[in-house]
Formats: sequence, C-alpha cells, structure tokens
Amino acid sequence: MLIELKGIHKTYDNGQPLHVLKGIDLGIDKGEFVSIMGASGSGKSTLLNILGILDNYDEGEYHIDGKLIKNLSEKEAAHYRNQMIGFVFQSFNLINFKTAIENVELPLFYQGVNRKERHDLAMHYLERFGLADWALHYPNEMSGGQKQRVAIARALITQPRILLADEPTGALDSKTSVEVMDLLTQLNREEKVTIIVVTHESGVANCTDKIIHIKDGIIGETTLNTEHHASVFGSNTIMK
Amino acid sequence: MKFDLDSYKEISDSLMRNKRRSFLTGFGIFWGLFMLLFLIGGGNGLKELLSKNFSGFATNTIIMGSSETGKPYKGFKEGRYWNLEYTDVERLKHLFPELAIVTPQIAQWGVVAVNEGFSVNCHVSGLNADYQYVEIPAIKYGRYLNQVDLQQKRKVCVIGKKIYQALFPQGGDPCGQYICVGSVYYQVIGVNYGTSNININGNSEEDITVPITVLKDILNYGDVVGMICVVGKNGVKMSEMAPRIRQAIYRAHTIAPDDEEAMFLLNMEPIFKIVDNLFKGVNFLIWLVGIGTLLAGAIGVSNIMMVVVKERTIEIGIRRAIGATPFDILFQIVMEGIVLTLVAGLSAIVFSVFMLNGLEVIAHHETAFQINFGTAMAAFFLLTLLGILAGIAPAYRAMHIKPVDAMRDE
Ligand SMILES: Nc1ncnc2c1ncn2[C@@H]1O[C@H](COP(=O)(O)OP(=O)(O)OP(=O)(O)O)[C@@H](O)[C@H]1O
Ligand SMILES: [Mg+2]
Repeated sequence: MLIELKGIHKTYDNGQPLHVLKGIDLGIDKGEFVSIMGASGSGKSTLLNILGILDNYDEGEYHIDGKLIKNLSEKEAAHYRNQMIGFVFQSFNLINFKTAIENVELPLFYQGVNRKERHDLAMHYLERFGLADWALHYPNEMSGGQKQRVAIARALITQPRILLADEPTGALDSKTSVEVMDLLTQLNREEKVTIIVVTHESGVANCTDKIIHIKDGIIGETTLNTEHHASVFGSNTIMK
Repeated sequence: MKFDLDSYKEISDSLMRNKRRSFLTGFGIFWGLFMLLFLIGGGNGLKELLSKNFSGFATNTIIMGSSETGKPYKGFKEGRYWNLEYTDVERLKHLFPELAIVTPQIAQWGVVAVNEGFSVNCHVSGLNADYQYVEIPAIKYGRYLNQVDLQQKRKVCVIGKKIYQALFPQGGDPCGQYICVGSVYYQVIGVNYGTSNININGNSEEDITVPITVLKDILNYGDVVGMICVVGKNGVKMSEMAPRIRQAIYRAHTIAPDDEEAMFLLNMEPIFKIVDNLFKGVNFLIWLVGIGTLLAGAIGVSNIMMVVVKERTIEIGIRRAIGATPFDILFQIVMEGIVLTLVAGLSAIVFSVFMLNGLEVIAHHETAFQINFGTAMAAFFLLTLLGILAGIAPAYRAMHIKPVDAMRDE
C-alpha cells in the first residue's frame, strides 16, 4: 500500500468542537486513480488536507510508503510535501505576480535546483500540456483551463508519488473539465501517477477507477469503476 | 536554503512586481531618513551661519567705552563728557594681573578707500598688534600688524575680505601695493578673511586695520581712546571682573561709583553662553524631530508590512503547500524588508544630499549645509537596524501561516 489510513480522527475546535472525521480507514495502492465523493461538509477537503500533510490529525495512523506521517515538524512536513506530494486546487492557487513558467518552477526553487535546470524542466512540462506559448504570461491573462493545466504542471514537476486534487474542475465549464480529466487520466495511465480527486461531479468521478464515498465522517461504500459506467459528463448530474 | 542569485531574484521579483505595495512600504523609511538628514544638514548650516558672527572672537572679552555721566559727583554736574585714555590701558594692566590682554582702539567711520579707479566704503580701525588675541584674524595673504609697525608708525594696513574683493577684483596677492584711504596712502600688508560681526567697529569684512599710533595722529586724537578691549586669562570669571574694572576706571575719572550710564561695558561671556545654549536647543530639537520621524517611519513600515503579510496569506500558504519551510518564508520576508529599507534609505541619503546642495547654491556656497559622510553612514546603519526590527514582527507572523490557511481563504 502506498497510502494507509487507520482510524483517523479530526476535530476542529474553534470555540465549539466539530468532529469531522470519525475513524477513517483507507488504503490506496500505487498507480491507483481514485475519487472521493460526498455531501458538502462531509469532510472531503479535511481528509485530502491530511493526506497531503497540509493539516494534522488527532487520532489514528497515516503511512505513506510505510513511513508514519505523524507529529512532523513544520520543516519535515514541508520536505515531504515537496518531495512526495503534488497539489491541484479548485481555485488554481497560482501566484499571480509570477508568470506561468515561474509558477511551475517554484517547487524546484525550494528544492534548491539551479535556475537553468528548473527552467528547462518547467518548459518541458508546459510544452507537454500545450502551454509553451503561455510560459511568459501571468495567471490573470489565462483561461481557467489553462491555469489549471499550469497548476497541474507545477504539481508534477517534482515527480511526486501522489497527486492530490481538490475539486480540480470546480471552477471550469464541462468542456474544459473533460480536458483536465483527460490529462489526469493520461498521467495515470502513462506515468503511473497515483491520483486522488475530490469531487462533487459524478462525471469527474466516472473518469476514475475507484469511487470512495464519504458520509458523516466515515468511509461509506467504495465502488470499483474500471468500466467507467457510473455516470458520464453532462448526464445524470445529480451531484452537481 | 542558501542565499544565492536565485533567492535574490525571488526577493526582487516580489518587490518589483508589487510596486505600489513596495513603494508604500519604502516611502515611510525614505521620508523619515530624508527628514532626519535634511534637518541635521539644515541645522549645521544654521549653526555655521550664526557662529560666523562670532568666529575667532575670544569668548572671555569685555569691551568698554565712555559716555556722558548720569550722576553728579564731587562737584561735577551730571551729563559731563569724559574719555578713556591710554593711561587707563596701563592702569588696567597694572591693577588686574588676571587680564591677559588690555588693548585700546580708535575708529574712523564713513571712509572711502580707492585703488586704481576702484573704490569702496569702509571704516578704519586703529588697533594695537595684540588685538589679534581678542579677535583672531583669518589671514589670507601677508601678515597682521606687528609691534614694529606701531613703534615706527608705519602707514600700513590689513584689509577685510570685501575691501579686498572691491579694490583688487583681479585677485592675487595685494601685499606691497598702496591704497588711498580717506586722504592717506597705506601700504597693504595683509588680507583678513575673518567674518566676525562682533567688532564694535563693524563687520570685519568691511574693515581696514591700521596701527593705532598712525590713526591717532591722523585724527588728532591725542590721549583719547575710543574703546578698550580686555581679555581674561584662562579660567578668570569675567562677570566678576566687570564691576571691579568699572570701579577702577570710575575712581580715576572721578565718577560716581553707582553711575551706570557713564561707561558702557559689554561682557561677551553671557552672550556667548546664550548662543551656545541656542545651538544646543536647536540641535536637540533637530534630533528629537528627526528621530521621531524616523521612528514613525519604521513603525509605519512595520504596520504596512503587517497588512501586506495578511494580504499575502494565500501566496505564502501556496509556497508552504509546495514545499517552503517556515524558515524560507521568514528569510524571504526579512530580506524583502532589508532590501526595501536599503533602497529607500539610500535614495533618501542621495535625495537629502541633493537638496542640501541646493540650499548651498541658494546661499552662494558661503555656508556649508551638507551632512558629512559619517553622519550619513550612522543614519544608514540606524536605518538598516530599524528596517530589520520593523520586519521581524511581520515575518514572524508570516512564518506561522499554515498551508491550510491559504486554501480556506477564498
Ligand atoms: N479550519 C476549520 N475550522 C473549523 N471548522 C472547519 C475548518 N475547516 C472545515 N471546517 C468544517 O468541517 C466540516 C468539513 O469541512 P470540509 O471542508 O472538509 O468539507 P467538504 O466535504 O470539503 O465540503 P465541500 O464539498 O463543501 O468542499 C465543515 O462543516 C466545515 O465547516
Ligand atoms: Mg471541500
């Protein structure tokens, strides 16, 4: 197992404690392409943040590749994030005073990779995603789909074990959503990147091989979807 | 992370691509330092301007001259005229060993001096050679009067700066040439660039100094002396000497001991003290206002940086999410603060030097308003320190931004 969660609990305590995750048990293998679905407020983002070491959990154990991820110092957490995990967010989260290529380079800057190497690698990813002409543009000069592809390039440039995406198509129209999902699918098929996508959209979930439902802070049913019959984009969009 | 060209670029990009933000932050520092330096420079200039009036003048000097008596005494009616005489000079020397110098002077006003078609209004002072210890001359060419000039009644003169400029517009050393003062020809032996305004005979720049023995004969003054200047030896309290000197003169001239009007006696000591205190006060004010402005600037910068850090929560969160350590963030914010402070501070130094230079041009380069290099460097280091201090609180806050904070702030 690449990812192993055992009895994860998480309680937010802002004045009034809110028990969000109530014992999550989950295993995800190397090379899997998984989606997490659930109602709003069910704790999907909370779970993904814990998976991405962006946040701590209160109880249980979380292993990546057998390594226990618990009570890490900020420095260690930053190191693991940088080395093992790539993030894609609903709102892209690009730095708006940096050009596309500078955004893509940034994770390597924090690894101490030299400028030329960084630049070449970033350019390589942008080319692959059909963004070579946009390398020197700022985020506010690009469309949502382009921004999300830049964000995916940034997430992949460190060649992480796991790519985490929190509603990556949430701010995109259905056509662009299909393009982004095709890109993720391609990455999973060709490069064997392990991908976990949080989504509301059944169309997005249908692109993945496994759909994990989360309800009231625990894992509900897990559906295998290797045939991709669950629900296609545009039809039966009950979740959106 | 090591500090290399890359990190420098990261910092400069962040500053250059957020110009409005950087400008607002830097301006507080710029203005604070500019005000401080400009005030210091202006204060220096003011001080110099004021002290020019006193430069070269012995501070423990008393100047005295005769006037009508104000009281009847021993058969004399009030309103009697009397004069100081050379015997009074000898008397004071004899009675008061505390005095280093006792020197007489006489003056001639409203005289025209001529040299080869150039003429200038001036006044003539007849002095002893030892007057140079009362008011130290700034000899530009030649020499001052000496004992031999006086004994041999040589018709020689030392001319002031303005006289020299008017009579010898072509410049050069005028010594040895003759000028006509009133109706008498004097040989120029020196040029005095002193600027003192205290000289009772008027501004020393417009003065022609000749031996008192010569002027006395020309004016037919006989034993009469215009004024007497005395200078105390080191450590002698002139305010205590003043009444004793007055009484000694009064006794010799049969004047009522309590007659305040019969002789004016000007003790320079308290005047110098007032001026000195004035300078101290002005200096204190300058530093108070300057440091205050600089501090306000630094606090303002700290405030703005605090707001900026809040504004940058998402950016910092993103950096953290993709692998920046808290130290990376701390380093970045502190370095941004330092770079900004240095750039703003250096501009302020350049700008204030430029403005002070403008002041000097306005003052025809006769007064130095400029700050010196040491002051600029001291201000600069003070500023850098303030810049670092100002950046610490915001940087500390930035360091504690968590990646999830950025994700949530939508
Ligand atoms: N930092 C926080 N402090 C307090 N409560 C929080 C915090 N983050 C999330 N919550 C609460 O925890 C619950 C789960 O939040 P979470 O963001 O994980 O839900 P979600 O499943 O991602 O929802 P959505 O589909 O709307 O994104 C919500 O009720 C939310 O209000
Ligand atoms: Mg969510």
